[in-house]
Amino acid sequence: MNRYFYIDSEGKQKGTFTPEELKSENIKKDTLVWTPGMTEWMRASNVTELDAIFAGHAGSYSPQPAAQPVTPPAQPVNYGGSQQQPMPKSWLIESILATVLPFILCSSIFSLLGIIGIVHASKVESLYARGDYTGSLEASSQAGKWTKIAMWIGIAWVVLWIVAIIFLIAFGVSMAGISDVFSGSGYEI
Amino acid sequence: MAAAFVFYFFDPEEITFFPRCPFLQITGYECPGCGSQRAIHDMLHLDFKGAVAQNTLILFLVPYVFLGCCLTFFNGKRRFPKLEELFFGKWAAIIVVSGIVIYWVGRNL
Repeated sequence: MNRYFYIDSEGKQKGTFTPEELKSENIKKDTLVWTPGMTEWMRASNVTELDAIFAGHAGSYSPQPAAQPVTPPAQPVNYGGSQQQPMPKSWLIESILATVLPFILCSSIFSLLGIIGIVHASKVESLYARGDYTGSLEASSQAGKWTKIAMWIGIAWVVLWIVAIIFLIAFGVSMAGISDVFSGSGYEI
Repeated sequence: MAAAFVFYFFDPEEITFFPRCPFLQITGYECPGCGSQRAIHDMLHLDFKGAVAQNTLILFLVPYVFLGCCLTFFNGKRRFPKLEELFFGKWAAIIVVSGIVIYWVGRNL
């Protein structure tokens, strides 16, 4: 039985798994998989051995002659210039939003994270166009990482805001002292 | 919706519980987002002159962010690839970021 690598929805390479384990990884029909002996990453639905995953019944594949030793992970192969792999998610639109939104939410410092995301995101497309699929995957996961960090900080910030506003409505409005502290600089955001 | 409601009925100019910009507090310079709450308040009252006076940038960014959210939500990559490329491509990103930086420097001069 072959052991497979696959590329998850965020563009990360994972492996190795037997077909049974792949099933519990919840791979989809268009997930790219690779196993020693294949020249290129293939959609899981095109691999005969993996048919059983999508057929809905486990254990229907025929036993393989011998377990192969696990070979070192082959880099996603794309040096021939044939671009059959779909481009990894570029995260460009998400990272732009993560850069712009903090200005509206008055947390402009955090848009630096979004800018790091944009830098990585813009590499995804150009590396892919050059045929460097591995680099493109790498850039994609970096872009995704920074965009997600920015997003979570943004969410935390908004929650903080709401808590602060509720707090101030509940306790502050009647207490002139507190509102004086908060109007100290004379400028709202 | 709740946020729009809050910004419509309370004027950030008068009421002090709206959060303040940490950058402005620390450095004394206005960040590109300063004035956005007042600008949104003005926009919701259809007072675009007022909004421009408070923060011109937000006038462009609010529809831009709205468009971006729509594209993400409705899977614009597949359905409107041209539109997405135009507004959220690599060059669009560079223009938006440099626009923000120019506005930042410009408003503090």
